[in-house]
Amino acid sequence: MDGEDIVHMFPERMRDRWMWAAAYADTLQEIRLRVGKPAAALVDGREYFVGADGRLADMPSALPAVTAQETEEILAHLCQYSVYAFADEIRQGFLTIRGGHRVGMAGQVVLEDDGRVRNIKYVRYLNVRIAHEIIGVSDAFLPRLYDGAGGLYNTLLISPPGCGKTTMLRDLIRNVSDGNVCGKGMNVAVVDERSEIAGSYLGVAQNNVGIRTDVLDSCPKREGMMMLIRSMSPQVLAVDELGGEEDLRALRAASGCGCRLLATVHGGPQEGSGYKNNMRDIISSGLFERYMLLRRVDRHCEVEGIYDGNGCRL
Amino acid sequence: MTGTAVACKAAGAACILAGSIGLGILRAAQERRRIAYLREILLIVRRMQDEIVYGKHTLPEICLILADCAGPLYRGCFRAIYDLAGQEGGVSLPCLWEEQIMLVQEDAPLSGEEKEFLLHLPNCLGLREEKQQAKSIGRCEEYAFTSCRRAEEAYGNKKKVIFSVSVLAGLLLTVLLL
Repeated sequence: MDGEDIVHMFPERMRDRWMWAAAYADTLQEIRLRVGKPAAALVDGREYFVGADGRLADMPSALPAVTAQETEEILAHLCQYSVYAFADEIRQGFLTIRGGHRVGMAGQVVLEDDGRVRNIKYVRYLNVRIAHEIIGVSDAFLPRLYDGAGGLYNTLLISPPGCGKTTMLRDLIRNVSDGNVCGKGMNVAVVDERSEIAGSYLGVAQNNVGIRTDVLDSCPKREGMMMLIRSMSPQVLAVDELGGEEDLRALRAASGCGCRLLATVHGGPQEGSGYKNNMRDIISSGLFERYMLLRRVDRHCEVEGIYDGNGCRL
Repeated sequence: MTGTAVACKAAGAACILAGSIGLGILRAAQERRRIAYLREILLIVRRMQDEIVYGKHTLPEICLILADCAGPLYRGCFRAIYDLAGQEGGVSLPCLWEEQIMLVQEDAPLSGEEKEFLLHLPNCLGLREEKQQAKSIGRCEEYAFTSCRRAEEAYGNKKKVIFSVSVLAGLLLTVLLL
């Protein structure tokens, strides 16, 4: 990953303070800016606070606080001084920037008459989540996701948040698109509703999602899946974070058109109650032939197991 | 007075007259250039409004569009803004904009107010809704339109006055020197 991308997220006058980030690019996970509090950074699972001179400290005491002017300046810079062009993203509470990194934001929400979010004013909290591409992370699991004749099974990745679902999905997309030892390259269409898979910036994928991949960025999954099927005739359709019944209906329609499916969903077995409702619906739909469960152990993510459509571990 | 002296005086008078008429032409050309600048500014602002409302383009993207479609006076500076803003470690966009517009307007025959208005245009940006943003730039458009129309209307009379004054000044100077 290019550490310069992280430094260039900040306006020129602030860059000296963030130069250290370039050196920690591979292990830097998050930068948190909260007005009135010192800037914090999560490096390799450990929290540090950032001094005025850019030095990292374990304790926040005596460190300068982030100002409201700074957060506004950073936001304007991230939006290329054209905040109106990012109004839809801001409404959703995040921006994707060059390099595929994601900036979450919070502040005071302005509502429409019907209760929908119109805008976030006074953006006072920023959370920069650094995108880490791990090329090759899915290689070892490919033989269990192909049928032996080059056909890809419809696969669902399941895990609680922060266990690497999107990273795994991205690498699977790359492998399927480029082709691998188990199957030839296929045309993959990605509906990237929250710009997390391809990390598109100005419409161009910033992450490696393969040579035969088309990305529909910032589009709701339901509409996006049908748009791509009609317009790009994909062999494989990939989506992240399946939600309600509507997503499932769109997936069924896509599967009915002959597309293979790659998808992720938040979840996992819950103590006492089996699976959450939407998970139960997805599993009982019989759409997926492979389930890959991921989990976090200590500070590392790992694949807990791969199951077939009948729930048998492979 | 010898014939040579008279010829010299006549030549001198002709030179003075030609010089003052030349100055008059120069002044009128300056006025034409001012109108050309104002027309271009007006087109730039209108194009910016369109690109903001219909394309939701960012400022650097608008600069790239203007680098292709703006008039010859400002085209180069928009290309420079786009290129420099995209460079690794590029300076902040409002500073870059100000720097480049200042360069192109350095010798422009615009009034201080007319120069400032395109110079500080990024200050109008920052609204979170494209129509409001375009409306905010619309104030600049109104100003540019009014300045341009006034300059165009006044140009005909101004040109006549400039020529008359310059010819009269030339004649007066000739008489005084003779």
